[in-house]
Amino acid sequence: MSRCPLCETPVLPEDAFCEACGHPLGSPACTSCDAPAVDAEGYCERCGLRQPTHRDHQEIHLDGGAAGVSDRGLRRARNEDAMALLETGGTTVAVVCDGVASSPRADEAAEAAVRTAAAALAGGRSSQEAVKLAQAAVAGLTADPSDAPACTYVSAVVGGGRVTLAWAGDSRAYWLPGWVRLTEDDAVPTGQLTAWLGADAGTVEPHVRSFAPSAPGLLCVCTDGLYRYLAGHVPDGGQPRELARDLLRHALDAGGRDNVTLVLIPVSPQGDPHG
Amino acid sequence: MADFIVHIDQNKYLSTDGREVHAVLTVSSTGTVTAEAARAEAAEIIIVDVSGSMGGSKIREARAAASAAVDALRDGAHFAVIAGNQDAVVVYPRGERLATSDPRTRKEAKEAVKRLSAGGGTNMGVWLGLAEKVFRQRPEAIKHAILMTDGQNNETDRAFDRALKACEGAFVCDSLGVGDDWVPAQLRKVAEALLGTFDFVRDQADLSAYFRDLTQQSMGKTVAELSLRVWAPQSGRVRFVKQVSPVLMDLTGKRTDVNPLTGDYPTGSWGTEEREYHVCVELDRPGQVGQEIRAGWVKLVRPDTQEVFATGNVLAQWTDDLAMSTRLNQKVAHYTGQAELHELIQEGLGARAAGDDATATARLAKAMEIAVESGREDTARLLDKVVEIDSGGTARLRRGVDKADEIELDTGSVRTSRLRGSEEG
Repeated sequence: MSRCPLCETPVLPEDAFCEACGHPLGSPACTSCDAPAVDAEGYCERCGLRQPTHRDHQEIHLDGGAAGVSDRGLRRARNEDAMALLETGGTTVAVVCDGVASSPRADEAAEAAVRTAAAALAGGRSSQEAVKLAQAAVAGLTADPSDAPACTYVSAVVGGGRVTLAWAGDSRAYWLPGWVRLTEDDAVPTGQLTAWLGADAGTVEPHVRSFAPSAPGLLCVCTDGLYRYLAGHVPDGGQPRELARDLLRHALDAGGRDNVTLVLIPVSPQGDPHG
Repeated sequence: MADFIVHIDQNKYLSTDGREVHAVLTVSSTGTVTAEAARAEAAEIIIVDVSGSMGGSKIREARAAASAAVDALRDGAHFAVIAGNQDAVVVYPRGERLATSDPRTRKEAKEAVKRLSAGGGTNMGVWLGLAEKVFRQRPEAIKHAILMTDGQNNETDRAFDRALKACEGAFVCDSLGVGDDWVPAQLRKVAEALLGTFDFVRDQADLSAYFRDLTQQSMGKTVAELSLRVWAPQSGRVRFVKQVSPVLMDLTGKRTDVNPLTGDYPTGSWGTEEREYHVCVELDRPGQVGQEIRAGWVKLVRPDTQEVFATGNVLAQWTDDLAMSTRLNQKVAHYTGQAELHELIQEGLGARAAGDDATATARLAKAMEIAVESGREDTARLLDKVVEIDSGGTARLRRGVDKADEIELDTGSVRTSRLRGSEEG
């Protein structure tokens, strides 16, 4: 005999609602207490837990080999990082944003920025233009600058043997093997950001860097949830898909204090047969 | 139907061992309520103390006040006037029933009120019992009574409590104390049982204005008997639900269980107004760092129809960041302070009456501190008449305190100040 998850009154299989307390039956099961009592807002009506969303863990793999992973980590309630990774013609585009935790709706800011910038870059817009469009999208989330959603920004466009990076804030790009840092943070030594996207950001002047590597390798674009754990031995080779998962595991094992997002793109010099 | 908004103020972040979740709910009804006013059925009973102590100028003021209340009744409202001493009698209309307000019935009621004379004792439970009986004639109406008295209730506590219990949920009653011979604790009981207010009419010449205002407010009520339906998780419980604005009213003991996780707390009838409630949920154990739960789910419901007017979530999320978990929500802190102020005044006055000067001095001095800090100038002024604090911070009870000042301090302690807009966070 099955019972109502809330009031424990026996219920019949064909009942849509508990006769005793009116609770709807057949709701999704809670990931924590197993009660079939998750409501439309995503909370368990028995233990109260907010259920994980699809954003809590995401993976992307492209046919060309690039891979990305974004994860809530162990200490944050939600994933406020966002990533986009796509191929168009011979070009791979990646955008990674980290919602500023002290701002409201930081997850929406990051989501709006990656969506807008990735579409712009895939459409052939320059890296500078993509940042401006992303900035406008994030700023457009509010009419009130004192309550503005905000996020960091880093984009990579890889094609024809060239890598073009653009960034604002403290999300980074690295060259693998060797974890060679390619970006400079817009932040003071205490960690406070000096540049970001958002209605309170003023005019955003992104850094842009373009280069043609002379040897094959992997470009890693990531948030601080990964790079805060780069001291010591960190894997730096292998297939992007497996390496992305290994790096996530590394960050979680090291504490997972923040959301972790990273994208790996294989890069070959121009003319290289594997390019 | 009426539109309501529930807004929740809280700091949802708890420390790694945090188990207590606090939130202030602001419940406001919007203009739609007023537009529907014409259709809501109202029943009003005016209860006038005609005991022996009401002789002379007091009964004249009481007659004028009852007339003012009758004048404030809108056409179509059902009403009656009860005169109370050791017994209770409906002085208008004839028989134990309600009249329907129109120019003729209001004129007749005022004629009847002119004939009120003082004599006999004071049995408030009997007065309220008669009101409850008369109200039964209009079960669908929004039922409200105004009770005025100048003296102490002669009934035993048991008889009074039993009478109040019988009226609970049947109607809302606001009461007024006149002169300095009535006992605030008795009218506080009426207010708590019948979800109303009680007030001190210090100058009896103001009685008519009080009656008129209370009647007008009552005529503005358009939604009867709403409850706050509060859910708490299986591994927790609601510790308290208190109305904190405009006046303090602890609703915790008035819970009716809906299911094992949910209970209804009555709030009485509503017009276009805003009230605030402090809800506290206690959890059996803290969650993991990063986990977020709904610790309270609040719905404004009409219990007879199960109609839900507004909902809100009280959240809890555990963090090891002390900067986040120790941050006080200003509204929660403010109303915690206002509730403490009320308790300190009550304890202080109680200790003073019992001759425990040390406790009285300590409580009232602390109350003074909170009153000054939270901008309760009137309360601070009244406290200053009871307790003297010298420039060195030493407190002393004053002698020869005016009885009326003491009653005003006692009565007014349930009122709370509101945060100014700029302070709301």
